[in-house]
Amino acid sequence: MEGLFDYAPAIALFPLAAFVIALAFGPKLPKKGAIPGIVATAGSLALSLAMVAAVVGGEEGYYHTTLFTWAAGDAAGEVGEGIEFTFGILIDPLAALMLVIVSLIAFLVHVFSLEYMNAEGETGLPRYYAGLGLFTFSMLAFVYADNLLMAFMFFELVGLCSFLLIGFWFRTRSAPSAAKKAFLVTRFGDYFFLIGVVAIAATFGTLQFAGDDSFVAAAEAAIDDGGQLFGFDAETWVTITGLLVLGGVIGKSAQFPLHTWLPDAMEGPTTVSALIHAATMVAAGVYLIARMFGYYALSPTALAIIAFVGGFTALFAATMGVVKDDIKQVLAYSTISQYGYMMLGLGVGGYVAGVFHLMNHAFFKALLFLGAGAVIILMHHEQDMWKMGGLKNKAPVTYYTFLAGALALAGIIPFSGFWSKDEILYDALIVGTEEPLIMAAYAMGLLAVFFTGFYTFRMVFLTFHGKPRSDVAEDPHPVGWAVKFPLIALGVLAVIAGVANLAPVAKLTGLEIEFLNEWLSGGAEGANYAAYTDALAAVYDTGFIGTESTTVLIAAGLSLLLAFSGAGLAWKLYNVPEPVAHKERLGSVRETIESNYYQDEYQVWLAEGLTLPLARAADRFDQTVIDGTVNGVSSVSLFGSDRIKRIQTGIVTNYAALIVTGFIALVIVLGVLGGWFL
Amino acid sequence: MAVFELPDWAALAPALILVATALALFVIDSINPHTKNRSLLAGTTAVGALAALGVAVWFMVAGVGTPTAAGGRGVVELFGGQLVVDQMALFFMTVVSVVTALVAVASYDYMGDHAYQAEYYSLMMLAATGMATMAAANSLVTIFIALELASLPSYALVSILKDNRGSVEGGLKYFLIGALSSAIFVYGISLVYGATGHLQLEAIADNLQGAGEYGGLLGLGILMLIGGFAFKTASVPFHFWAPDAYEGTPAPVAAFLSSASKAAGFVIAFRVFTTAFPLEPTTAVIGVDWTLAFIILAIVTMTLGNFAAATQDNVKRMLAYSSIGHAGYALIGLAGLSADGGEIVMGAAMMHLLVYGFMNTGAFLFVALAEYWGVGRTFEDYNGLSNQAPVACFALGIFMFSLAGIPPLGGFWSKYFLFTGAIEAATANSAMLIVAAALVVNSAISLYYYARLVKAVWIEDPVSGRDTLSQPTGLYAAIIFAAVLTVVALPVFGPIADAALEAATVAIS
Repeated sequence: MEGLFDYAPAIALFPLAAFVIALAFGPKLPKKGAIPGIVATAGSLALSLAMVAAVVGGEEGYYHTTLFTWAAGDAAGEVGEGIEFTFGILIDPLAALMLVIVSLIAFLVHVFSLEYMNAEGETGLPRYYAGLGLFTFSMLAFVYADNLLMAFMFFELVGLCSFLLIGFWFRTRSAPSAAKKAFLVTRFGDYFFLIGVVAIAATFGTLQFAGDDSFVAAAEAAIDDGGQLFGFDAETWVTITGLLVLGGVIGKSAQFPLHTWLPDAMEGPTTVSALIHAATMVAAGVYLIARMFGYYALSPTALAIIAFVGGFTALFAATMGVVKDDIKQVLAYSTISQYGYMMLGLGVGGYVAGVFHLMNHAFFKALLFLGAGAVIILMHHEQDMWKMGGLKNKAPVTYYTFLAGALALAGIIPFSGFWSKDEILYDALIVGTEEPLIMAAYAMGLLAVFFTGFYTFRMVFLTFHGKPRSDVAEDPHPVGWAVKFPLIALGVLAVIAGVANLAPVAKLTGLEIEFLNEWLSGGAEGANYAAYTDALAAVYDTGFIGTESTTVLIAAGLSLLLAFSGAGLAWKLYNVPEPVAHKERLGSVRETIESNYYQDEYQVWLAEGLTLPLARAADRFDQTVIDGTVNGVSSVSLFGSDRIKRIQTGIVTNYAALIVTGFIALVIVLGVLGGWFL
Repeated sequence: MAVFELPDWAALAPALILVATALALFVIDSINPHTKNRSLLAGTTAVGALAALGVAVWFMVAGVGTPTAAGGRGVVELFGGQLVVDQMALFFMTVVSVVTALVAVASYDYMGDHAYQAEYYSLMMLAATGMATMAAANSLVTIFIALELASLPSYALVSILKDNRGSVEGGLKYFLIGALSSAIFVYGISLVYGATGHLQLEAIADNLQGAGEYGGLLGLGILMLIGGFAFKTASVPFHFWAPDAYEGTPAPVAAFLSSASKAAGFVIAFRVFTTAFPLEPTTAVIGVDWTLAFIILAIVTMTLGNFAAATQDNVKRMLAYSSIGHAGYALIGLAGLSADGGEIVMGAAMMHLLVYGFMNTGAFLFVALAEYWGVGRTFEDYNGLSNQAPVACFALGIFMFSLAGIPPLGGFWSKYFLFTGAIEAATANSAMLIVAAALVVNSAISLYYYARLVKAVWIEDPVSGRDTLSQPTGLYAAIIFAAVLTVVALPVFGPIADAALEAATVAIS
């Protein structure tokens, strides 16, 4: 089986080929590039599954190779000697799982696009499919990158692709602006990421994720030595660099306060949103934390910050989702919120829980977005939920799959989202009993469950239930197999994916059914769950409320109770034939929430009130001091030139006199120094 | 092993070929006194110069002048050490003969309707002989004779346009300053002889101790020798002749003087100061480090040359000052010498003189072309020439940017080595930091006026009413050849650098 690993580079290269084909020949192809894209992503999916098989069947359980060394030097880092920049592939259980997720979602999105984009007669389709191909390529290459620098490069490429795709409808006013915003906001985070990469490279002389010469191992050794790194305690330095890298994560995964780009990114085609939210752009951030989890596990501070930011974002975004009228906006805020959960899970040391939720979320969020896309097709590109209603009977496939996704998102047992969210909250709870800060994060995460249930079912009821509230809702546009097939595939996954890790059941019954746990415990030494568990033991104390079983039951019961209450409230308010808005009841809170807590306003203020004057001042400094100096030098030079020119009078006796004078001056200088005249 | 061994005197072959060519030209002239057979005359000159070049390169490659310890055939000393043929001599013979060949080819067109064809070429060959001999001269007497052999034909060459006021004036000024400088130089020789009792360079070095109480006298003599070199290399304060002479004289002669003559001036300076006045013993006797004189001269020369060039209106005059500036750069080669080395900086100066031989000759030849066209002498007159003569103007761009030291052209590399060499020398003598800074500042200024010329020919609108421009074969060939050499200097810089460094190492040790 291990021979299969030789084909690993092709996983990313297939979509790259599709990108090239769509770009070069797109306009001449029958489906404008869709077919190569579908074939390529199907190929990637097949190969990714083969990788999973190879990981299972292989002796080492992972694959690590260096493809290309493009710079190597002897410059010594703070620890370690020499530095090397390489391209390489690391396929361990985590990467293999993510490869499958990404290529699957990309494949389904390509199929869905056949109807969503092609059938709608969009122009610029080759550009669209080229973008999708490059996007998939970048993400896949990011996933199996074996070092932080390569990861950074593809991370940036992912950002570029989302810029291109969000701004696909560049002739509108809003799309280019949203694309620019997404690019700039994530770039702000990536700036810290880049500094982090440089800092880690300069400190440890290596950027490898796994293996003996990884920066994780080097950092661990440095902490054990108890030495100083750049004048800091080793652990403090690891925290600092880890937080710098976290800047990129917060930008990409749309965590507070850099989440503002994501709702605007809805300006892109819905298929692109599905890809961005489920498998590529936003997932990249959280995946990066999972990828270098061993590094964060060395720093309790960084972990606590991740957990707290995650918990806060989960609640914060969920409250905003409650008041949105646009179906895609609701989903956008739910994405922010759900990634907050993943951050919370990873931050409290729930590595498996975080990855589990990443996987489940990929399935059900892709499902919900594609479902929303189907609704948008049905509704002739209407996105306001108040103009929908009653679609339940007219589009049953869309309804039931969407419902499955909604149940998973709301965390209703036994749908997939419940299991992973519950595991995250359980992990947070057992740490929270010992650490007050984590307890606060847990509380916010728990509270968010209620809001999640509410906004999810508000969306479901407004869209599908009740009576049609507009003409198009009366007579929706039919959808074809290219829409139904991805929906059904993802719908099934949203229902059953939870089986991968039925942790509460396992804990209560003692059955060994925590498959994902097993799976992630394999892989490269020091970079797997087993190793992280050891490292985390030193970071967090855990405690139970009563026994383990009661804790499990309390955690699951609480979250289920809140989810049902949220869903129930939505049912009560909106599952009526003619629902009305209840936002007015929120009073003054409503305006704050509808304005998204003025996050955009203060960021714009920061840009206009702080950055702009600063830039102006710098510009003025440049114009006056720098340019003035340069211009002054030039005028002084030209003036000097004019004077010096005049020495040459043209009269040869003057020359002779000047020569003799100059010569005598030289004689005097050297003579005095040499003592010739004494 | 060579198939046959040449006698020792054959090591002088490059110089001998040059003088033989001069004599051949006299023969042609005496058979047919007023011949205007330009092909024959320019052709003979070019063939002679190229033959000298070929022999010099062949000798260098074959290892003549390389010490036997380094696997060569040994340094050839002739006439009891009065002349010496080593790597440095051959290197500068190469420079001189390349420039001579280029100028000869270019003169074919430029001197087309001139009355004294044969005299012109034979004077040039005699001057070249003098310069080649300067490269090999190893005694103050032979140095003086070779220097005068180079100078006297040069005076005549500068004023070859007998009816042109500028040419005659320039020649007279050149001659008068030259006479003054020669007087100073020869007085310096007598003082050195008085202090040490010797004229042969190694003998002077061996007898420095004997100068004893006459240290001041010896120091004065050394300074006077520097005056002679400064005249020949057009360094401050002995530079005054250069702008007037270059401006008045035919442009090919200016090219010849500013490139070959300058290089020859430097080779005797290099040889005298490395052989006759080794730093440590000389400092012990005269009480001051003579590199100080060169540091001062280098800074003043490059600054004055570049500053004066910056606002010139006349292109030829600008080039004249720029050649003064470049003399300042090359002086770094002597300023950077120290007791424990300096071969890098001196090798860099030699490289610079070689590359300068191509780019500066090419630039002056472009001026020759412009004079041939009769477009005028100022920057404005050159406006928009690229419309009519793109090839020549492209070559001009190469010369200008190479002179300014823009990568990847040859001029960049030699200047770069000079800079790094100066920085390295700063460990022994911190004043070299000032020299390095001056080099950078002056290069920046030089870019201003070099770019001005490029801007004039390429960007400015053409002067209206200009006639169509002919394409003289000889001038074009010489310009293009010089441009190619300036560019090719990049890939072949390795060997050039090696040759120069080797020559410098041999000279210093």
